[in-house]
Amino acid sequence: MSSRQRLCVVGLDGVPIGLLERLADEGVMPNIAARIEAGHLRSMRASLPEISSVSWTSFMTGAQAGEHGIFGFTDIDPGTYELTFPNFAQVETATLWDRLGKHGLTSVVLNQPATYPARTIPGVLVSGFVSIDLSRSVKPLRWLGSLRRQGYRVDIDTARARGDHDWLFQDLDYTLQARGAALGRLWDEVDWDFLQVVVTGTDRLYHYLWNAVEDSSHPRHQQALDYHRAVDRFVGKVWDRFAAENNEPEKRFWMLSDHGFCAIKQEIQINAWLRERGYLAIDEGERDLRGIRPESRAFALDPGRIHIHVRGRYARGSVTAEQVTSLKGEIADAFRSLRYHDEPVIRDVHDAADLYRGPCADRGPDLVLLAHPGFDLKASPTATEVFSRTDLVGMHTWHDAFLLAPYSIDDEELWIGEIAGHLERGFGN
Amino acid sequence: MKGFTLWFTGLSGSGKSTLSQAIEPVLLERDIKVEILDGDEIRTNLSKGLGFSKEDRDTNVRRIGFVASMLSRNDVVAITAAISPYKEIRDEIRARTETFVEVYTECSIEELTRRDPKGLYKKALAGEIANFTGISDPYEPPENAEIVVDTERETLEESLEKIVRSLELMGLIPAGEDQHTSPEEEVVIRERLQALGYL
Repeated sequence: MSSRQRLCVVGLDGVPIGLLERLADEGVMPNIAARIEAGHLRSMRASLPEISSVSWTSFMTGAQAGEHGIFGFTDIDPGTYELTFPNFAQVETATLWDRLGKHGLTSVVLNQPATYPARTIPGVLVSGFVSIDLSRSVKPLRWLGSLRRQGYRVDIDTARARGDHDWLFQDLDYTLQARGAALGRLWDEVDWDFLQVVVTGTDRLYHYLWNAVEDSSHPRHQQALDYHRAVDRFVGKVWDRFAAENNEPEKRFWMLSDHGFCAIKQEIQINAWLRERGYLAIDEGERDLRGIRPESRAFALDPGRIHIHVRGRYARGSVTAEQVTSLKGEIADAFRSLRYHDEPVIRDVHDAADLYRGPCADRGPDLVLLAHPGFDLKASPTATEVFSRTDLVGMHTWHDAFLLAPYSIDDEELWIGEIAGHLERGFGN
Repeated sequence: MKGFTLWFTGLSGSGKSTLSQAIEPVLLERDIKVEILDGDEIRTNLSKGLGFSKEDRDTNVRRIGFVASMLSRNDVVAITAAISPYKEIRDEIRARTETFVEVYTECSIEELTRRDPKGLYKKALAGEIANFTGISDPYEPPENAEIVVDTERETLEESLEKIVRSLELMGLIPAGEDQHTSPEEEVVIRERLQALGYL
């Protein structure tokens, strides 16, 4: 029994509260059902936009995008209009693990998305998505050899799994088992105070086969449930060990997701819409925003981030500072009235000036669209049709991430960035 | 990068081999050529036939030093992990080597006796092993080692970080924590994001 006041967090990427409750009630996830019974389950808001890189960065820093500086998986170079891929180095605020380290506390963090390339933390960090090279995903590096020998893999092969669902399930099982083995080793060998592991296979499954999760007549429904059973066993093992080694474990065990999920009814191509309305023009034959024309007044980045093409901020920008407010209002109103078969598409249009605060707020978008569940916002610069469909069946949702906490948190508007503060207070900090 | 010799010295069980193996991937990741001159491998190859008399030990250490200095002048980081108990021999090798970095893995006999995974200290203290360094043979600690790690009090990570940071500060290896993603990595990131429906 450890004399230390340890704390354990399990993340389940993309799992919505409704699905978690249902699978717990139906006996598919009995270990999680027991944790729900003992703890306090509630819904929680994701970041805006509701994607993993932003949400998990808010989780690990306790800050919002205007402070930590991560607004999406991509940004754009204002001089060349080339897409850039913000990484862990661009996170401007200290992480929870850094802050705990200042109090002499050691963290083990396994598969945390948005932490590539890994950097030294007080403890051990193994980065999650979009990790490329395992040798740059592990700090300290002395853990690299054992992870390699254990066959650790950060993620499934998404490019293959998207079209080969037999492979998807094989790879989901493999990565989950490898994650469990790696966690066991780190648990054994590091004298930790804070341990956090994130299961990301759930998000991958939902992108490709959300319908198999929801629809009991889907030919892969049982496989989808079996994967959830495996995730439940994973959580059960973490809990059992934590409970065996720590006093009052139920007061120090947390679970959460970074966003929810739902079925896609329709994909909405924001840049195609901006083009159709005359807000965006790209040179003929150009495949990305490098061909943006000076008369363009706005462009979008995934998923629903709209940037006003302001003079002085962008090399070819033509919108004057005086025009920005009215243009934002005009575009916001037009999106609010966007319909698909009489159904409103956009739930909210957020003015970034209201949404983001902090030293990085100027780097972000000017408007952030939040769609009604079912309408998946996309920002392909080459798309020509506003309404389209691909083979993807699941999309992220903002309002229904889950939090399973050791105590009740009375805050209707609770969002993922607030959890770090609760965890720090768990150590008396 | 220019090569150098990273010469670990310390009593048996003090962490020389463990640290030399731990530092290897750190250097490889920074595109540095590395060769570990493992004491056991040297004994079974280059120094086959040598015993444990002072003369034989000195010869063994000199041979390791000779190979290390050849490797390091050809831009390899040569890492050695022999006890190398005598200061005179270590200094002789230092004088022959262009860049020689001595790392002393400091640890008390009491702690080594407590660790003693092979039971060697126990046997040596019982008089069952002759010429055992630190018990029945002398060990002369370095007086001016470039790096000293206290493996009794420091964790492996702490000692490793201390060595790496010292080498960075000496300008012998490039600074770590490269937080950039390369153009090749960005191609893969793009593919992964596309596979999840972005871009």
